[in-house]
Amino acid sequence: MPVLLLPILLALACAPLAYFAGRWRPGAAAWVGAACAVAALVALCWELTLGPARLVLPWAPTWGLSLEFTRDGLSGLYAAMALSVGALVVLYSRAYMPHHLKEEGRPARDEVRFQVLLLCFMAAMVLLVTVDDLLLLFIALDLTTIVSYLLIGFDRDDPESRAAALLSLVLTGATSVVFFAGAMALGLQYGTFSLPLVFERAANDPASTGALVCLAVGALGKSAQVPFHFWLPRAMAAPTPVSSYLHSAAMVAAGVFLLQRLYPLFEPAVAVRDGLLAIGFLSMTVGSLMALVADPFKRVLAYSTIAQYGYALVLVALGSEGAPLYVAAHAPCKAILFLTAGAITQVTGKKKLSEVSGLRHSLPVLAGASAVGAAGLAALPLTVGFFKDEVFFHALVEKGPLFMAGGLVGAGLTLAYTLRLWWGLFGGPRQDVPAAPRLLVAPVVVLAASVLVGGVLPGLLVEPSRAAASASMVRGGTSTLELAYHLDARAENLLAVGAWALGAALFATRLRWTPLLTRVLEGTSKAGPARGYRVLLHQLDRLSTWLHEKEVRDLRDRVASVLVPTGLLGMTVLWVTPLRDRFITGSVGWADVTLVMALAFASAAALATLRAQNHLVLVMLISCVGFSLAMVFAFAAAPDVALTSVLVETTFTLLFAGLLALLPDRRLERAQQEAQKPRGRDRISAGIAGVSAFLLSWSALSHLQADRVGTQTVKLAEVAHSPNVVAAVLTDFRGLDTVGEMSVVLAALLGVTSLLKLKGKG
Amino acid sequence: MRSFVPPLSRMLLWPSLIIALSFWLKGGGEVGGGFPAGALAGLAVLLQYVVTGREQTRRYVVVRYAAPLAGVGLLLVVGTAFLPVLAGYTPVSLFPRPGQPELGAGAFHLHTALVFEGGLMLIVFGLVVTVIDRFALSTANGGDEGP
Repeated sequence: MPVLLLPILLALACAPLAYFAGRWRPGAAAWVGAACAVAALVALCWELTLGPARLVLPWAPTWGLSLEFTRDGLSGLYAAMALSVGALVVLYSRAYMPHHLKEEGRPARDEVRFQVLLLCFMAAMVLLVTVDDLLLLFIALDLTTIVSYLLIGFDRDDPESRAAALLSLVLTGATSVVFFAGAMALGLQYGTFSLPLVFERAANDPASTGALVCLAVGALGKSAQVPFHFWLPRAMAAPTPVSSYLHSAAMVAAGVFLLQRLYPLFEPAVAVRDGLLAIGFLSMTVGSLMALVADPFKRVLAYSTIAQYGYALVLVALGSEGAPLYVAAHAPCKAILFLTAGAITQVTGKKKLSEVSGLRHSLPVLAGASAVGAAGLAALPLTVGFFKDEVFFHALVEKGPLFMAGGLVGAGLTLAYTLRLWWGLFGGPRQDVPAAPRLLVAPVVVLAASVLVGGVLPGLLVEPSRAAASASMVRGGTSTLELAYHLDARAENLLAVGAWALGAALFATRLRWTPLLTRVLEGTSKAGPARGYRVLLHQLDRLSTWLHEKEVRDLRDRVASVLVPTGLLGMTVLWVTPLRDRFITGSVGWADVTLVMALAFASAAALATLRAQNHLVLVMLISCVGFSLAMVFAFAAAPDVALTSVLVETTFTLLFAGLLALLPDRRLERAQQEAQKPRGRDRISAGIAGVSAFLLSWSALSHLQADRVGTQTVKLAEVAHSPNVVAAVLTDFRGLDTVGEMSVVLAALLGVTSLLKLKGKG
Repeated sequence: MRSFVPPLSRMLLWPSLIIALSFWLKGGGEVGGGFPAGALAGLAVLLQYVVTGREQTRRYVVVRYAAPLAGVGLLLVVGTAFLPVLAGYTPVSLFPRPGQPELGAGAFHLHTALVFEGGLMLIVFGLVVTVIDRFALSTANGGDEGP
């Protein structure tokens, strides 16, 4: 087995293993899942020491499709992040979910479902970062979207949580479709979906701007950037472990990851990168300001995530080497704070900053660990977070003073809202609460320790972040990223000190500006994109209701709603594609007399249906048309078609008659009366449909190249081992069509079965 | 007066099914095919429903399991169409390929098109019989839905 697959397979095995462990004992699911995730992490680390590699598994070579995986610094960094935070969050959920489920009034067994979904998400994330093919990238992206829908809507009895799940599904799903469009455009432009080949060909022939914008939209939707940011705060309705995993290290990271993976395509497109830069700064501002006034603590963290991924977006757009490091340093800090928020909600039952205070006395360990996380988020020294801001400032210094000022304000705001959050939870007047379970605190402590280790020994980070940065560089580039503490007056240090001073000042004066800012933000949020989404949804709902009422008012309108557009479409086709000798009238000889007689019979029966006295007669007349046509086929030397037509006609006549027996007499009589009184618009619809069908058939038959098509088909049928031409067409030449038709037949069968079952019950 | 229809219809069942099978098997070479085969078999069962009623007809195993049979048919069709993809062929590649020798006599040939047609037959048969069965179940005294 190729070595490269080992971590992926282990990650994929987590969810099934946890499921079976959970069947045995619900509590075991988390331990087994976490152990498997750690095993995958160990395998991944071992493999990363072996250096970069690629694996190509041919899948459908005739279509040029293959499954391609890569092992490089970028995928290693993101996979390690997803696996380690994932394992810790799974253990945390072991302590969190039983309490949560009890409050929701659900059985304890549902915990297994939750753990399995969480592990599925982890597997999808690992898959996303390891694939090296545009199509697979899209598939993995959609896998994460679908699992995140199930996770965010895990409290299915809560309408708010269902709505939040739907919102995130609609937004991230819709933007990932846009991503797909971009991927297809690239695939068509370069003739391949394999990323290394695409990059190679893009070096000579830059990707089109439209495709790049499509790819960027998909990434922005995932990373909750302006204007798609509003799904993230709503998604906080999910259980806290979900938020702490998806919205710190996994789902939102996926968007920025996509941009880094595809960076060689964005490198020459300066305009697109400038757009991303603007969006990054905008997200930073919007997220930071909202985080300064939000009251529920998970919302503060959600807005902070929007802002922090804005930073990461700025770094990506600037082509900085520090972008992967930024995401990797942010993830544990944000996970710490989310997990802390969840632990506090479980212990106190409160969800808002205004309801809690002074918890440092009752939860000292949690307070200490989350202080480390907060310091990391605010980029204080001795934490890994310091370096995320250092690379950020370093990138801005190269751009000029205006960018430096923007970065300074952003970092200052970060410190201000982080202080506000931590002080709101743990500072202030003392509140006494019961101690938190150890398993709830342990993952937070482990993460905090990792944040400290990274901050004290930055040398450990240099190698992975260099490898990650090199992977997203244009072919052949290597990163020269340096991470160390410098005690001098360089621009980065000055900016950091300035940001801390600004943040501290903002925090100290918070009581003065909070009411004003709240009012301003409330005013603007009324006109924001969230409102646009609501209005759009409402209008779509109204449109569908209107169409529904128009269409189903009665049976004749329903039929007309299918026939009239089809007829108009057919006539438009005839109109816009003028052909020479469009309508040819052939000659009729004595040999055709039988044919003409059969056709005349069919027409007479068709006309007679207009005057049918009741439904049974109607069914008989329609079957008469069918049998006459079967006769036409028999005379036209098409025995196969004639045979099938006779059999189908017989079956359907009998089934129709059986159906009539099922319908109530009164309904039939009323329908009969209505049918005898055609309205004006019925005549018009019938006229359009009839004329269009007539003209289309005439035109098609006028251009029937009987010799060319016929002889060729017969010859090919012989070659295909099927002298029966009809069978050859059905099974071989048009085999894929037949497969489609047969699936429709089966769908109809399912429909009939369930409809008649319903009737039986009612 | 005792009608001659019930015994006659019972006698007709097996010959009809055998003719249906022959339609399927010789479809590649002569008149026939999976679709008419399924429709004919369905009609044969329909006759039984009309004459002897639902209870009597459901004694046959194929009638009781008609709906799952349609599912099996779809599996056959999809399998014949897409299994070759795994081996690197285009979808709906039938074997033996054009130019390769094949076994068979008369209109009957060993060809994967037969599996495909068999799937069609099962789907059509399943559809017709299931719908009849549902109709018969829904009418108060099952079996009198015929004209």
